[in-house]
Amino acid sequence: MKLSKNKGAVSVSATKRKMKIRNDINGWLFLLPTVIMLYILIWRPTVLGAVWSFFKMHAYTVGDFIGLDNFKMVINHSRFWQMMSNTLMYVFWSLVIGFLPPAIIAIMINEVVYFKQSTRILIYVPTIIPGIVAYLMWTYIYAPDNTGLLNMLLSKIGIAPYEWLNDAKFTIAGLNIQSAWKNMGSAMLLYYACLQGASIELYEAAILDGAGMFRRAWTVTRPALSATLLLNFVNQIISVFQALDAPLVMTGGGPNGASANLGFQLYQYAFNSGGRGTGQAMALGVIIFVVLLVATLFYFWINKRIEDSY
Amino acid sequence: MNTNLKRVLAVMLCLVMSVTLFVGCGKDTSDKDEQGRTMITVGNYPAEGTPKRETFDARLAAYNAANPDVAVTPLEWSFDLKAFYSQAAGGQLPTVFNANFTEVNPAAQAGYAADLTKVLKKRGYDGQFNQQILDALSPDGKIYSFPISSYIVGLWCNIDLFEKAGLMQEDGTPMQPKTWDELAQFAVKIKEATGKAGIVMASNSNVGGWLFTPLAWSYGVEFMKQNEDGTYTATFNSPEAAAALQFVKDLKWKYDVLPADTLVDNNKKFQLFATGEAAMFLDAGDSAPRLLQYDMDINDMGVMALPAGPAKHVTLLGGYTYMMPSNATDDQLDAAVRWIETEYKSKVDDVVKETKTKDIETQVADGQLVGIKSMSVWSNDSEFVKWNNALIDKYTNINPNHVKLYNEFVANCPAEIRPEERICAQELYGILDNCIQEVWSDKNADVVKVLEKANSDFQNDYLNNF
Repeated sequence: MKLSKNKGAVSVSATKRKMKIRNDINGWLFLLPTVIMLYILIWRPTVLGAVWSFFKMHAYTVGDFIGLDNFKMVINHSRFWQMMSNTLMYVFWSLVIGFLPPAIIAIMINEVVYFKQSTRILIYVPTIIPGIVAYLMWTYIYAPDNTGLLNMLLSKIGIAPYEWLNDAKFTIAGLNIQSAWKNMGSAMLLYYACLQGASIELYEAAILDGAGMFRRAWTVTRPALSATLLLNFVNQIISVFQALDAPLVMTGGGPNGASANLGFQLYQYAFNSGGRGTGQAMALGVIIFVVLLVATLFYFWINKRIEDSY
Repeated sequence: MNTNLKRVLAVMLCLVMSVTLFVGCGKDTSDKDEQGRTMITVGNYPAEGTPKRETFDARLAAYNAANPDVAVTPLEWSFDLKAFYSQAAGGQLPTVFNANFTEVNPAAQAGYAADLTKVLKKRGYDGQFNQQILDALSPDGKIYSFPISSYIVGLWCNIDLFEKAGLMQEDGTPMQPKTWDELAQFAVKIKEATGKAGIVMASNSNVGGWLFTPLAWSYGVEFMKQNEDGTYTATFNSPEAAAALQFVKDLKWKYDVLPADTLVDNNKKFQLFATGEAAMFLDAGDSAPRLLQYDMDINDMGVMALPAGPAKHVTLLGGYTYMMPSNATDDQLDAAVRWIETEYKSKVDDVVKETKTKDIETQVADGQLVGIKSMSVWSNDSEFVKWNNALIDKYTNINPNHVKLYNEFVANCPAEIRPEERICAQELYGILDNCIQEVWSDKNADVVKVLEKANSDFQNDYLNNF
């Protein structure tokens, strides 16, 4: 009797396990196309690129092992540190211009009573404009003569035309203004959605206690947004560190390299060197990868802390 | 995760990865089809529904009739520098395709271009090509491409703005600035008369540097020299280079004849000229299609010789060529050269006549400019050159006087014709772009110091690593 009971237990457990495997396999089979594409398009090139960065590359044909030579060439490039500094400036300006304003706008929209829907739509419009169109629009907005929109406005108040992107001191900030304008809608919506999750009772209690708008924003709204704010902060650093399209389309890295960042230099090595810079492109890719890996680990650490806090 | 499940997944992933890792490795390398015909793929085939498609279809039919031993697969593939080297490494290039002269030496140095010396000799091309062009495309004495057309850099002018500035001769020929200083005076006159920029010069995306090279050569600049041990030394920290860059700087700060935007790439350059915002630009004689993209009136286009510098009169050579990948077999190379011969040959036969005539008729019907002649890729007494020039004269759709000075410049060039620098050309152009941007954005920039740094950067970042 005892034996038969044990047998039955084993049999039930085995069946359960088989069912679990079957269920999991179905799930993994659904994932398989994604895994294959990730492998072909991301994992394999990333690993091969990292390995080949230690070899002499003749365009995409692998030559002799040369150790760290490609890395030395990249780091000893006369403009490497200028480009690293520019990359950090991109990150700095993107945080200054593009990080908090969407959250502030989301809070404002949350607080207003009228035109809530239409304001939300208007702010979201730049997000649905195709990227290249947005870059071209801003090229005309920043045009340094009287045909530029900003200079037209300046001329109305009697101020001489400004050079905008042609001014080395302004160009990175200028590119970040464009990017903040383009991405503000989606970030704002994200924050706005978080605000909808904030407890109405807390707002009502705060109002009954006589808290004004700023007090409510600090004591009720801020905690509701803090998790998303923190994640967006790290996420933004990671994505802006790799920025390429804005300098490529709007300034070509100029004037005199003032807007050239590491992503732009990687592009130059890979596609504008007649196949001679492939090894350096891969080495620079590894350098950027390592920097971002640290940021990503930080991101996961923060993410876990936030998840644990709920 | 369950151990069995892990195993299943691991096996599946390993299988997938193993398969993809060896994708392409097992490619069939035979160049013959089941009927024993040599298989070739032909790039640059025009897309369905485009005006040029019909011309290519006729060319293909003629080729198939004359070459039953070859099976041709046309591909709508065209050269793209960003994809070229990876496609070449993956063995994915067509058997024969068009490229710019610029691309031949780097592709050959990377081992991706087929050596055509043997097949061209076999097919009787010894002494047929223009030797100067052949030398420019032979980095190590071997021939890696089949040149089909060639151009030299000239000076484009906007006829409407030239007329308003009184810079046209009575017969409708634009006046020719003979020196760079005279060009600056022309630009000042145009700015005063029309308020438009006298000249637009590129400064970005390597184009500024590319077009600065002939200007600098005319001041006596040499950008680099090869040492006895085979290494290279950058040599443009010279007074001649400083004078050339000073001229470029003066266009902005002394003469004030440039557009306000100092970050000008090729698109911006063509746009400003085509829309009448600038009166002159330097570029090759084949730039008309880029101007027509902005709806420029053909009658407003004019082109002439490049001005001379204080040291010499010199211009830059460029052009189009056919290339073949290094993995093509001898039979494929032979079949590919036969394909080229359906349109390009030093002697004129019925097939060439029909293809070229159809091609030029398509250009006229498509609203393209016909009337500008290119430098011959053949030796001077080639039958094809005379026949082709007569064909252009017959179908020309522009006032011939607007382009007369350039056609004369091409036909009997008084200037030295130089190919672009063979070593690290693109990198040099990028550095020169930066120099131009610096002297245009800073009125007090010291051209000597700018060039000293550029010369040192070029040496350390590129020549030392070549």
